[in-house]
Amino acid sequence: MRPFAYERAKDLTSAIAAAGPANRPSLDAPIHYLAGGTTLLDLMKLDVMVPEGIVDINPLSPSLSEIRIDEDGASLGALARMSDVAHHPEIERGYPVVSQTLKLAASAQLRNMATLGGNVLQRTRCAYFRDVSWKACNKRDPGSGCAALDGCNRMHAVLGVSDHCIATYPGDFAQALIALDAIVHLNGPTGQRDISFHALHRLPGDTPHVETVLSAGEIISGFRIPASRVARRSLYVKVRDRESYEFAVTSAAVALDLQDGRVADVRIALGGVATVPWRAREAEVILRGGLLDEANARRAAEAAFAMAEIRGDNQYKPELGRRTLVRALMQAAQMEV
Amino acid sequence: MDAPTPIESGTIGKAIPRIDGRLKVTGAARYPSDVAVADSAYAFLVTSTIARGRIKAVHLDEAKAVEGMLDILTHENMHGKIRKARFFSKGGYTATSVVPLDSSKIWHAGQIIAVVIAETFEAAREAAHKIRFDYVERKAVATFDPRHPRPSSWSLTGDDVKVGDPQKAFDDASVKVDAAYSTPIQHHNPIELYTTTCVWSGDQLTIYEPSQYVHGLKNGVASQLGLKADKVRVVSPFVGGAFGGKAAVTPRTSLIALAAKRLNRPVKLVATRDQGYTVSSHRAETQHRIRISADSNGTLTSLTHEGWEVTSRSDEYKVAGTETTALMYACPNIATKVHLVHADRNTPGFMRSPPEVPYMFALESAMDELAVSLGMDPVELRRINDTAVSPIDGKPYSSRSLMTCYDRAAASFGWSRRKSAPGSMTNGDWLVGWGCATCCYPTNVAPAAVRVTLAPNGTVRVQTAGHDIGTGAYTAIALTAAEGLGVPVEDVNVELGDSTLPPSPVAGGSNATASICNAVALACQELLGRMAEAASKSDGPLTGMDPAAMRMRDGRLSAPDGISESLKVALARLSFGPVETTTKYTPDVAPTAIKLTGHALLGKGIPVMTAGTNAGDHIQYAFGAEFVEVRIHRRTREIRVPRIVGAFAAGRIVSPTTARSQLLGGMIWGIGSALHEATDIDPRAARYMNADLAEYLIPVNADIGEVDVIFVPEEDTKVNALGIKGLGELGNVGTNAAIANAVYHATGRRIRDLPIRMENLL
Amino acid sequence: MDTFSPVKTSPELRRRKATTIDIVLSINSRDYHLDLDSRVTLLDALREHVGLTGSKKGCDHGQCGACTVHLDGKRVLSCLTLAASAAGKAITTIEGLSQEDGLLHPMQQAFLEHDALQCGYCTPGQIMSAVACVTEGHADTDDDIREYMSGNLCRCAAYPNIVEAIKHARDAVLDSAKEHRS
Repeated sequence: MRPFAYERAKDLTSAIAAAGPANRPSLDAPIHYLAGGTTLLDLMKLDVMVPEGIVDINPLSPSLSEIRIDEDGASLGALARMSDVAHHPEIERGYPVVSQTLKLAASAQLRNMATLGGNVLQRTRCAYFRDVSWKACNKRDPGSGCAALDGCNRMHAVLGVSDHCIATYPGDFAQALIALDAIVHLNGPTGQRDISFHALHRLPGDTPHVETVLSAGEIISGFRIPASRVARRSLYVKVRDRESYEFAVTSAAVALDLQDGRVADVRIALGGVATVPWRAREAEVILRGGLLDEANARRAAEAAFAMAEIRGDNQYKPELGRRTLVRALMQAAQMEV
Repeated sequence: MDAPTPIESGTIGKAIPRIDGRLKVTGAARYPSDVAVADSAYAFLVTSTIARGRIKAVHLDEAKAVEGMLDILTHENMHGKIRKARFFSKGGYTATSVVPLDSSKIWHAGQIIAVVIAETFEAAREAAHKIRFDYVERKAVATFDPRHPRPSSWSLTGDDVKVGDPQKAFDDASVKVDAAYSTPIQHHNPIELYTTTCVWSGDQLTIYEPSQYVHGLKNGVASQLGLKADKVRVVSPFVGGAFGGKAAVTPRTSLIALAAKRLNRPVKLVATRDQGYTVSSHRAETQHRIRISADSNGTLTSLTHEGWEVTSRSDEYKVAGTETTALMYACPNIATKVHLVHADRNTPGFMRSPPEVPYMFALESAMDELAVSLGMDPVELRRINDTAVSPIDGKPYSSRSLMTCYDRAAASFGWSRRKSAPGSMTNGDWLVGWGCATCCYPTNVAPAAVRVTLAPNGTVRVQTAGHDIGTGAYTAIALTAAEGLGVPVEDVNVELGDSTLPPSPVAGGSNATASICNAVALACQELLGRMAEAASKSDGPLTGMDPAAMRMRDGRLSAPDGISESLKVALARLSFGPVETTTKYTPDVAPTAIKLTGHALLGKGIPVMTAGTNAGDHIQYAFGAEFVEVRIHRRTREIRVPRIVGAFAAGRIVSPTTARSQLLGGMIWGIGSALHEATDIDPRAARYMNADLAEYLIPVNADIGEVDVIFVPEEDTKVNALGIKGLGELGNVGTNAAIANAVYHATGRRIRDLPIRMENLL
Repeated sequence: MDTFSPVKTSPELRRRKATTIDIVLSINSRDYHLDLDSRVTLLDALREHVGLTGSKKGCDHGQCGACTVHLDGKRVLSCLTLAASAAGKAITTIEGLSQEDGLLHPMQQAFLEHDALQCGYCTPGQIMSAVACVTEGHADTDDDIREYMSGNLCRCAAYPNIVEAIKHARDAVLDSAKEHRS
């Protein structure tokens, strides 16, 4: 860990000013916001992230931690802690997939620390990314190559991959947000803007080091999940080697509106298998308007993984991912709502 | 000295809370890195990022510029400073024969190539990250070479067994299994990291380091540094888990000692979790081929077990568990062979139940496959082939309660309700499978020395340089001393983990309880004798009575006719002051060489253990049987273990509370080993890729359902006078196979390579 | 050849830090004024600067739970918390759990009675986590306890005994938490 200047934010405006481009000595040594710290400190200890300055935004918690649910949807402050949102009774009841993605992530301690904003920005677990002694990592060092392509890649992505990066996006909560068409509120040096959650993360392509559309100094201040008919019949199936405290090997977030046994609307997001939070729209198209039975679920799952690209150790992932989705769909169909 | 006569039943076998528990639940137990050392500097290791080659150049400029930097050790300033000490498994001390920072040669990835010392941990870490090395890299071999899966194999002549004509018997047999099995690289991963703090006081070195063998560490470091052994002291009263990883002397210790010497200041090292994967040892991957055959009644006609193991370039470390598998069941024709393959890897070493875990996985899987081929219940197959003697040379087992264990565990598990067809049992969306396997572990025992002091107030102090690595040694020793001197266990204080105390053997091979408790019992007997002698000669209630007939019980020295005297009163009256003895115990079963030189070697920190396979005119093992239920999701194939039952016969159980925890923990280790644990290695670079606790998976609380431990009573005074068989390693021997067998039962899929994961069952 | 000789420093120079911050940490109801490198984690502050070594370092990356402490009554990982971030919060460690007179907290007592530990290294973290598991209301069923205690690895694998201990301590912990509030 490199030395850094530590500053406690007084308010959002001054925090943004402190972290803005004017204060960035260089792109390699930026100023980072510190919220829960569960990604940032982890990677700083490994020298993967080397900020020159830290702006501790935890003092802003009182104003940025709201959890408000009304008829139009749910508003979630970026500094709300995962545990608080996960166990909020109205979230549990009205947005089960949100609650479940949070409850099934990490551990109770980490969920008490980690914020929603930080959670969606968590970095990949790719071992070649996390160890700076591996020369080839386009995410750390653009143009250096990708050691994972032909390395140990059991946990690596099969969707949204490129020849430059196959690092898996490790989060769970993002699958709920992308499934429910959430909006992200951003504040930055040039003002406020709202973007669709699916526009937040960027596919690796040939620039895997650029993970999001956030500009320098820009901060996530909150999320808005619009009310929808699918939210209530929603769930998250997370498949992993051990029962808890492990990143998803594969996962599926499903939100379903069933009318008279037919799929009026459906949203599907997949985790553990893609380089970014992944919306499986091809699968949704197949299901919409039809009966939700085993055969249709399987067809949808085939479509979801039609573009999957495997690399060595992760060749099992498309099939496990398909089964995970079928399981999630059939379970969602049986939910009592 | 004669072996102690068995003691009348008292506190041995009493279930009490572990006596060091209070210190542990309050955070007051001081593990070595908890010890406050005034004005300590902090060390951080730098390790090699290549697996084979040499260092061409070292760039220290950036690191030197870090504020608070104090010193950097590399081969350039350390060459020739540390002497070579003998490898542990060759009767020496060290975990590797590679001398720390002695040359530019790189033997394996993760080799220590620099040590940075700074004012703070933060500065040391920063500077360590700023050191750059230029290498000349050579192509490394990561594991068994896939192009030549078994090249340059090195047969361990001498250990190989050949009885009868197994080839012919196999060819002639009506029912047979010929299968290959494998087990992965695994790491101990005690939650306590590998730490070392060194403090010099003049020419006296004190090392605070968690250790399974403080006498080995003391003598090993002394020999590496050219010091007299009495100039080195190792302090390790609490050890935060070890499992084999803290048994031998690792390169870090002598380096930290020298760093402290150079600065004339204490230096503290807490190696990182990922460094722990390469600065100590690991369990190497193994491959097996088993050919086993039976007649149509299930009687074994042949067993051939061939094993392949990986070791480092610098050392020949093997576990060679065929020694156990060859004598497990009655069989007229047996052959075994073990091959060793060198790779560019840190030297492997002991990890909980070293030989039995991989080798019994293969044998017990093969037995299950044979049972399937025979259409026979797997328990019955074991019963038919149970034996009271070694099938190799006819030596009897001192005791063998294997089938009693099977019967007790099967009854508790409800095995009779098992439907034998694979895939025939389900529970909702989950396929259910039941499987079982044999556990065994040799009853090893070693010389041990203890000092027992009876204070004038009637309290007892037991001192020995033994180790409680979570095993319950403190408690077992206290119970033994309490019984031996007839005092309440609360009045016994036990001191362990300090090399200034009388030497105890390594806490490994499940020998410690048997070795130390027998020594304690002997010492107590001697103190009793001295008290009784004095009491009979002095002017008191016991005057003139036969000292040999006296006993200590309930805090009183008692004669057979009921006349007795309070111990405290006797002590005061006989004005002994403290009564103390230092007693050396040598196992009866030890071969002559150990009887003659065992204590001399022990004093030098050299392991001297009598193996259960080499115990005089018999062989001695503890046994158990495990039954597991697995559930496998019908769609996504997650594998869970909702319940596991183990029944174990391990002689006399000294401390049931901690023994139960050992077996429970062992079985859970087995669950992790079967389903979770494997160290990934990048074949291109021969580097470990999941050297942490997030991607190297060990079970979490939610993975563990019902775990049932059954003690099967067993009396066996042939193993040692107290009849103790070690059990720390017994519990996880059968679990791998029991789970693999249950997975077969649930799915019809035989998985022969560990760990068993979802992708194997899609 | 010695390329680099050890630096001989004065105690004064030794105290200089890269980027120093002055903070007050409130630990177990006692204030500690500290002058720390900004990089110091709460765990290292406790262990190396305050002398409270009950909280353990098992991974330093949020993967084992051995460093679990309470911040304002919530369980967190002190290895991934900057000491600076913890200023102004009530920090409770294992040393602050038992009473001054040595009376064990009911959870400590239950761990002792159920042998919910072996080597004991993860135990302070387990106990801090277990107390929170109960006060959060996640100790109603065995499955809940298992899930909500899964952030604390125990390599000795005392898990079944940990579950037993928490079940037995549950009511007493809730009672004492109530008393504490009133």
